[in-house]
Amino acid sequence: MNSQLQNQRFTGGSKYVLDPELAKIVNISIELELPLLLKGEPGTGKTMLAHAIAEALNMPLIVLNVKSSMKLVDALYQYDTLTRLNDSRFGDSQRDVSNIEEYIKMGKIGQAFASDWRVVLLIDEIDKADTDFQDDMLDVLDQMHFDIIEIDKTIKAKNRPVIIITSNAKKDLSDPFLGRCNFHHIAFPTPEIMREIVGVHFPQLDRDLAKACLETFYRLREIPGVEKKPATRELINWIRALRSDPDFQSGRLSKGEVPYLGVLFKKSSDFVTAAQHIARFRH
Amino acid sequence: MFVDFFYKLRERGIPVTPTSFLRLQKALRLGLVNSLEDFYIAARSILVKSERYFDLYDQVFAYYFRGAELPDPEGLELKEAAKMLLEEWLRDPQGLARALGAGEEELARLTPQQLMEYFLQRIKEQTEAHHGGSKWIGTRGTSPVGHSGHHPGGMRVGGRSQSQSAVKVALDRRYRDYSQEKPLTHAQMGEALKRLRYMIPVGPKDRVNVDKTIYETMRQGGEIEIVLDRRLKDRLKVVLMIDNGGWSMDPYVEVVQLLFNYARDQFKDLKTYFFHNTIYDYVWEDPPRIRKPHRIDEFFRFDPETRLIIVGDASMAPYELMAADGSIHIEERSLHTSLDRLHLLAKVFRHAAWINPRFEHEWNYVRTIQSIRQLFPMFELTLDGLDKAVRHLMKSN
Repeated sequence: MNSQLQNQRFTGGSKYVLDPELAKIVNISIELELPLLLKGEPGTGKTMLAHAIAEALNMPLIVLNVKSSMKLVDALYQYDTLTRLNDSRFGDSQRDVSNIEEYIKMGKIGQAFASDWRVVLLIDEIDKADTDFQDDMLDVLDQMHFDIIEIDKTIKAKNRPVIIITSNAKKDLSDPFLGRCNFHHIAFPTPEIMREIVGVHFPQLDRDLAKACLETFYRLREIPGVEKKPATRELINWIRALRSDPDFQSGRLSKGEVPYLGVLFKKSSDFVTAAQHIARFRH
Repeated sequence: MFVDFFYKLRERGIPVTPTSFLRLQKALRLGLVNSLEDFYIAARSILVKSERYFDLYDQVFAYYFRGAELPDPEGLELKEAAKMLLEEWLRDPQGLARALGAGEEELARLTPQQLMEYFLQRIKEQTEAHHGGSKWIGTRGTSPVGHSGHHPGGMRVGGRSQSQSAVKVALDRRYRDYSQEKPLTHAQMGEALKRLRYMIPVGPKDRVNVDKTIYETMRQGGEIEIVLDRRLKDRLKVVLMIDNGGWSMDPYVEVVQLLFNYARDQFKDLKTYFFHNTIYDYVWEDPPRIRKPHRIDEFFRFDPETRLIIVGDASMAPYELMAADGSIHIEERSLHTSLDRLHLLAKVFRHAAWINPRFEHEWNYVRTIQSIRQLFPMFELTLDGLDKAVRHLMKSN
């Protein structure tokens, strides 16, 4: 039954530096047909991983961005009552008002089930929704089908999607939820891995500059009392800013100067803390 | 296969379920696991569902597959001892450095965490010499910080070094930072308190109530009738009373401050008062407890839906609690015993909780804690305790 899968092994995307440990976990999850729950601080590439998997396995990607007010049914399908009401009163559309099915729109999970191809389904930031949503959703993903009550029809998944779920929460999700997922926690990249990530984004980046940038970056991450530490995204943007500045020389970094500090620290209180810290340790 | 391993994990407190264990067997059967490294990764992602247990998992894995010793309970005592050394160091760096035979400057360069590691290391060496060298997990070098000299904020990613054996990776204990012992942080506090909400409709009617609209429309035979509602807003009233006096609360000042700061951000309608050890006729709005006294009697006029949270160690001399006029402050004379006052407070506010920064296992040894516990449900000032407290406060009756 997995013959089609077996030759589809995930080895990484073109813009994503993959930790081999994580690659194994992804492959195990795909073959065990379990959703993979990813946790980790922002900027560790949780969302990017789903994109990379979709790209590597050549599958379409469907993203469900979870919101706090979301109900499970929104993710499955939508019964557009308002349009139907409008049609029934004014009757100026091509739709058949008596056929409810014409007013059913698929939500993201519905789309993933109805798709003719196997897709990667990314359920982003699951922790935003309440626990009922989380548990109910896992039921649906377990059974791979759901009912549309209005038309009494069951939608079955044509292909079991590859499901990636991300969570930023410091708190754990509910036990039944965790019981149905594989779990991995992505650590913040080490300088060596970060060097590779930077290399992927800036292939012609000067070695010395890259080294100086990373050293500064990891030093800045250790400034105490910062609420939102700069992450990968900030680093990439920062290097981009440095490169676009014609007056910039990498020697300035090793002297302890940090231009464009605002790119790295986005909260004003953090910015002030970091600026003070830098001023104190300049040499 | 690996049933022992499974039970060892359970025994050490990792909540592994039989279902997930069967899943691991399935992975083995499918041929997904071809080496010990694969097993290390597969078993972890399938069995362990929180990074807080990763460290424990690493320990059990190393123990099971190599026979590394699990840290014995003595480890806890060691930690305490190291903490004392750290305090000693803050008081008298020079003296301590000399006692340990280390350079003062060398120590001064270390972060507090690293210092802690270093002290722990030194104490361990000493106990080992004493016991004739019991085996310890041996990744730590002899340099002041040894292997833990990595940046404190991050963790090492072991996947890099493919040549390393899984046992070695496990021995690295990369996930130490995430184990549960870590103190509360702002974000975690937020997570815990987030659920403390009381939604009631306020403001202009500007929300369409779809269900009612449909119902009314149908009732009128299709003549559209839009029903509007007010928005739901959080109108939770919270009264926070903090014990900020006396040396007994000193060790907890930081964590209480954190709680207080977070509460201030979170709740629009928050009133904070201070007291020392326990409550008599007054609490104070200003932290030094001088300028703005507030009579306890006035609280009885508050909305009974108000949530009352008292933070304090509830540890004092029994007479302070039981005797009329028991206050240790001469100017604070009262005809009531503090216990009476607390009793009244507990009666007026149905939703009340006492949050105690002392660990729960210590509670049984303090008489006053026991008395107060009978009046207020008491919770630990830990993530878990806060969570329980919040759940208790939000109970509808």
